[in-house]
Amino acid sequence: MYNFLQRLSALTSFAMSTLMVLAILISVTTPLIPSSPTHAVTLRSVQTTTGRPVDPFDKTSRSAEYARLTFDVDADLSSMFNWNTKLLFAYITADYRAPGFETNRVVVWDRIIRNPRQAKLRLRKHHNKYSLRNYALTFEGVEAANLTLHINPVPYLGLMYDKSATSIPLSLPRAAGPAGQVGR
Amino acid sequence: MDFLKPAFESGRIDFEGQNLASTLSTLLIACAGGVALAVGFALQRLDVCFYAYALCIVAAYAVVLPPWPFFRRHPLVWLPRKGRVYASTASSSSAQSRRTLVEDVSDDDSC
Repeated sequence: MYNFLQRLSALTSFAMSTLMVLAILISVTTPLIPSSPTHAVTLRSVQTTTGRPVDPFDKTSRSAEYARLTFDVDADLSSMFNWNTKLLFAYITADYRAPGFETNRVVVWDRIIRNPRQAKLRLRKHHNKYSLRNYALTFEGVEAANLTLHINPVPYLGLMYDKSATSIPLSLPRAAGPAGQVGR
Repeated sequence: MDFLKPAFESGRIDFEGQNLASTLSTLLIACAGGVALAVGFALQRLDVCFYAYALCIVAAYAVVLPPWPFFRRHPLVWLPRKGRVYASTASSSSAQSRRTLVEDVSDDDSC
């Protein structure tokens, strides 16, 4: 520390180390910040139909059973925004048990919420964004199904985590027409 | 690399001053971290946190980097000059023997 450049070097390296400690402290204390979000999902109706073939360009593909959901979402997620929140990722999944597979999860709807203004959700009669179809192309044997809303805060510094979820039961009725038919 | 010499030899401070500079720099930078965290969390803005940190570091530079007088309160006490040592050259053609300066133990003019 006997001359200007020595002091400059020593200060700068200690400042960089302290900056790293600061970043680690911020990322570690973020999950401890309390938040009080309110969320509710109400299911209005479920319609299942035998839909189009799974792959329209493959003649040997079979038509599958698709479920079309109509639901409402009421949520106020603005309290989940703290200084370290970059955005919130809200998504709705259908979880169920099927013969041969213990856990099945299909994401049927999602949304990116970028600021507290967009965080007040009031959705009425929304349909699922993504098709709800079982891996086995039919809902036969599917049980214990429920519809769950998850919120993922994405931080600026730190790890992502699944903060909260609200779950309602979902019944998947069988479709009228036969599923598993080749072609149309 | 001689053009770098003035840069490397500028801003010298004595040993007590170096101790003070070291303690002061550790204290100031640790406080900068604490202050930045507190200010950023109070305002709930991450960018303000890092701007405050940068500002505090610049303030720490201003306090520690220049050779302020309070870093030079305890200058080194050197022993008194012993004098110059000359050697006479034996093989000299001229009448006068030339003296060659071998060692000059004068003070180092640093600090």
